[in-house]
Amino acid sequence: MITAGKYEGQHPLHPKARQILLDAFDQGWADPTQISSQGRQAQALLTQARESIAKSLGLKVAEIELWGEPELISPIAIWGAPGFGTAPFIYGATERSEIIGMRAKSKQSFEISVDLDGAIDLELLTQTLQPNSIVAIQSANIETGAMQDLKAIAKAVVAQNAHLHIDATASGVRFVKPSYWSTLHFDARSWNGPAGVGVFALKNGARWSNPLPHTKPTRSPNSFSIPLALAAASALENWIIDEAGNSARLKSLIERIRNHVKQTIADVDIAGNAQSTLPNIISLSFLNVSSEQLVAALEVEGFSVASGSACVASSLEPSHVLKAMGLLTHGNMRINLNHDVQDGEITKLLALLPGIISKLREN
Amino acid sequence: MATELDCRGKRCPLPIIELSKKIKESELGQQVLLLSDDPATAADLSAWARMTGNEFKEISADNFLITKSS
Repeated sequence: MITAGKYEGQHPLHPKARQILLDAFDQGWADPTQISSQGRQAQALLTQARESIAKSLGLKVAEIELWGEPELISPIAIWGAPGFGTAPFIYGATERSEIIGMRAKSKQSFEISVDLDGAIDLELLTQTLQPNSIVAIQSANIETGAMQDLKAIAKAVVAQNAHLHIDATASGVRFVKPSYWSTLHFDARSWNGPAGVGVFALKNGARWSNPLPHTKPTRSPNSFSIPLALAAASALENWIIDEAGNSARLKSLIERIRNHVKQTIADVDIAGNAQSTLPNIISLSFLNVSSEQLVAALEVEGFSVASGSACVASSLEPSHVLKAMGLLTHGNMRINLNHDVQDGEITKLLALLPGIISKLREN
Repeated sequence: MATELDCRGKRCPLPIIELSKKIKESELGQQVLLLSDDPATAADLSAWARMTGNEFKEISADNFLITKSS
């Protein structure tokens, strides 16, 4: 399946996660904080889910919190970092808008530019960093799949003992955690889990305080849905089992797209390079093509693709990600492959694409 | 003397498409003054110049001077 949308659509739940979700909703849930036997049962299952998620993410149970509103995790993680507001806030130019928007709450903010492949300017980051800085960097970008060199970034940040927030919503588990980080953000959708569950992680020993109003010590509003949390844990367990094989297969399909498009279509801007891009995402911009017409032409053929071009995003402004990378913002389409994509779908897409592009260019 | 191409009020990708046509008809070294108020034009011009080997300069807001260089 080829998908589209903000998180490039929500992929179907893993069948096992779906079963857990349906059973859990049928059963109904007691409040896990109450001492009734049903409450204790809910608590036990939740503890199990938490342990499973932590283990799958390579984190300690005490380091993670589940959130029912995943979009809030990065802003809250940054907001709660020591000194946020007065301390320098540093972020990459291709971060998600929720993160870039945090600059309005900081007295000094710095945007770090990226190169044509989407990698942040490490030298500029190093020069900008101060001991009390708060740095927000994504492991990978959802629009282009461009991955950051987190090992090098973490090295620069740890040298100043600054706060490092990593937004892993696009990569999910498809990245290597650097040895130094402070806060992390995952979204269950990235491993085919349900929407509405996110994971906030606070590294053992890192300083952070909950900026939301609270009276008891807590790091999460704990307002997430228990059935969704159980399904998220199951989806992650199942995702990890097949991950290596799936990634390798998707990577080879994406490479096939990259090479075929390069060979058959002139004047195309392909984001990033094969080495530092997620295995499931490719972003293509065709010169002198209207993405609105391109998306519509592909829709007719049964392909649902997303676009970062202004005319499709129903705003006047083109994608800030393409712009920051210096890539063509019009004629853009991005493909995000799910595990269940068939080789035949790609063959069909590649057979159609050159004809569609040349027809649109004639208009 | 640069030829003027007024694309004000036209949305992306029209300014770049019209510019591409104009440049195709132009001689090497010839200049085009593109007037465009679409927010995507500045970003797209730099990508367009990189991809096609032509040169451009933003001379004032919404005014771009393009030189056919390849």
